[in-house]
Amino acid sequence: MDIRPQHVQLATALPKRLLDFFRKYPPPALTQGLSAADVPAPLAASFETPAVASSTSSTDPNVPAIETPSAALAERTYRNPFQPTKNFATGKWNSPVFGLRRQAEIVKLAQKHGVVDLLPYTIKLPGEREKRRVERGLRVKGTGVGERVKGKAWERTLKGRLEERRNAMLAMPQMIEDWKQRGHGRGWKKWPK
Amino acid sequence: MAKKAKSRTVMVRLLSMAMTGYFRSMMRPRQHRPLSMLKYDPIVRKKVLFLEQKRGGK
Repeated sequence: MDIRPQHVQLATALPKRLLDFFRKYPPPALTQGLSAADVPAPLAASFETPAVASSTSSTDPNVPAIETPSAALAERTYRNPFQPTKNFATGKWNSPVFGLRRQAEIVKLAQKHGVVDLLPYTIKLPGEREKRRVERGLRVKGTGVGERVKGKAWERTLKGRLEERRNAMLAMPQMIEDWKQRGHGRGWKKWPK
Repeated sequence: MAKKAKSRTVMVRLLSMAMTGYFRSMMRPRQHRPLSMLKYDPIVRKKVLFLEQKRGGK
């Protein structure tokens, strides 16, 4: 079964934005050395990393032959441009190459051209939102285990104030009795501030 | 310039001793002793002791 012409046609039919994306960020299935058979060979060839592309680019006239055989480049770990990355030297997180808006745009474009499976993982992939909804449900933030809601200042101090008020009311009859004995305030010493 | 004469009366604040923060403002002669009285506190819905708040600061 020769599927090459169809996929070459598909690759050429892709809009420039998607082609540029795949050139810069070849599908993870290829770079990670996973099942390359999952990806149609000619289609994959047009998106391959430069190291691999040097051997196959002659078959595909659409792809510019990039002659940079750097094995290290191919062997490096794949960095998902849709996910934040941690810089282990500084311990800081770097933002994704593509923001959520551009991720959504690329996913929509890929969906339109039927190549959404070649994209790296992103939360904008179709079905991801539903999956997360199933996992988490309609949970209210702050109600989970170990989560707290800060609340307003009056909410945080309410318990203490009610306790103070309760104690004051418990002591009130005695206080009024003292007040009456001291001449209705004539000998009173403890005035509030 | 001579200082302005102090008024004969002062406004005072009577605090509820139920610690509700509720208060009443009253006027009393400056030379009078501090006010204290039993009044209704709507927050605890009872008659409680109200004492004059110490003035000062300003």
